[in-house]
Amino acid sequence: MITVTRAPPYLTVQDSGRMRSRASGVPQGGAIDSFALRTANALAGNQLDAAGLEWALGGGSIKFEQDAVFALSGAKAQATLSGRSVPPCTTLYARSGEELTIEQISSGRFLYLSVRGGIDVPIVLGSRSTYLPGRFGGHLGRTLKRGDSLALGEPSSRSPADGFHCAADLLPRYETGIVHVTLGTHSDLFDEASWRTLTESEYKVSAASDRTGYKLQGAPLGNPVGTLPSEAGCPGTIQVPGDGFPIALMADAPTVGGYPKIAVVAEADLPIIAQRSPGETIRFELITIEQSQRSLRRRASDLHTISQLAIRSSR
Amino acid sequence: MNSKGLRAHSLGDSAVTIAFGRERSSDLLERIHATAQSLEAAKIPHVEDIVPAYLALTVFYDPLHASYDEMAKKLLDACERPTQLPGDGAEPRNHVIPVYYDGLDLDAVAAATGLSTGDVISRHSARAYTVDLLGFVPGFAYLSELDPSLHLPRRPEPRPRVLAGSVAIASAQTAVYPLDTPGGWHIIGRTGTVMFDPARDPPALLRAGDTVRFEPVA
Repeated sequence: MITVTRAPPYLTVQDSGRMRSRASGVPQGGAIDSFALRTANALAGNQLDAAGLEWALGGGSIKFEQDAVFALSGAKAQATLSGRSVPPCTTLYARSGEELTIEQISSGRFLYLSVRGGIDVPIVLGSRSTYLPGRFGGHLGRTLKRGDSLALGEPSSRSPADGFHCAADLLPRYETGIVHVTLGTHSDLFDEASWRTLTESEYKVSAASDRTGYKLQGAPLGNPVGTLPSEAGCPGTIQVPGDGFPIALMADAPTVGGYPKIAVVAEADLPIIAQRSPGETIRFELITIEQSQRSLRRRASDLHTISQLAIRSSR
Repeated sequence: MNSKGLRAHSLGDSAVTIAFGRERSSDLLERIHATAQSLEAAKIPHVEDIVPAYLALTVFYDPLHASYDEMAKKLLDACERPTQLPGDGAEPRNHVIPVYYDGLDLDAVAAATGLSTGDVISRHSARAYTVDLLGFVPGFAYLSELDPSLHLPRRPEPRPRVLAGSVAIASAQTAVYPLDTPGGWHIIGRTGTVMFDPARDPPALLRAGDTVRFEPVA
């Protein structure tokens, strides 16, 4: 079991999301940077889709109520375990009673904590993810507060060695700010000029950005149609409302929507945009669906490599 | 494009959207629902989720085990030979939802339509609506078709928070907000009926094709 001893402003249980309930309006949800959560899971010796904690907006502390193995991934933060510094993307052992403290997040937006065994909350509609607007999933459908205790599941494999570290070249290149996109379902409704604007100018993540979507500031695009009859979108869909400022849909985005969809972020690059804070910039680059799926498969194989190396380190 | 005028398009790495047409109609929507049920029944490997909509249906799949090209081809083939026809699906159910017609926008809707609030209420509660589809947030059902005298565009500025149970209208449609969410529709009333409960099976009260009547509560 682990207990929240000082709660950050945002802390929820997330896993890889709900993949089979979209037709009743249930968003995919799950970790907004699911690659970072999977990495932390691999380092903690978990299945990649185990539930962990998604952490943002400030510092806090977690107490381990039992001997535990854990890892941090995603956003960078000053972290300590009983006063000792905790490096990112590293397997660490904690003794029962020890406290993990995260100070202010220094770069990136969402930090992930995975603990060996995974966070054991009830499965709702196929997932342990917290869906805050619907107040379900995770721990009582809400953000975690001081004093909340969470049970851990049964470990599924041997624990990686204490101090096992993941090579940087297996992680997404968060610092580049280049986000690849494929053509959206309404790409042909947009003229040449809008496409040039989207792929040649810089966009800034605005303050109006959360797990539902990131509103982008920069050169507006022409919206040729206003709204269309609603159809499905997905995390990464770039839609263009009437004001011409694009919105990148994120994990908790509505399942359907009527704004034209100009492009879709390559899943392999979704972490890059997800980890951008308000005021930070990105650039879009158009690729084919074949290239996009290839980069996703490479990312999946990198995760598999991290898992394999972590498990081998225990010998 | 295939022989039936269907077009496939990628929606990112994990989904294919099949477009059926450009003009919205109840016939097209029924055909899309029937095709979605056919795909469901076909149990195509690596397909994870199917989301029908007005002009298209979208199929989510596992891109680590199937490429876009393979999936698009398979789906177009399957959509061309649906095993279900419109009307073959589950028997539609009829729902009655009690409504307190005291919504924030009731007076504004009356003013904008040139009707009395009493007329707005009687016209909204006079007809049976059909569930077109579920989407947006869990359990949100798009209901058609509203009395033409009540058609209004969405509010120019969406409200940051519309309360669960709000009964609202926009364009030719009406809906009940299942949970607190931002929303741009005109709120004319509220209901205590629970539209979505994750602990219920199925969690959503309404299903595409069902009919809904609203009953005024004094």
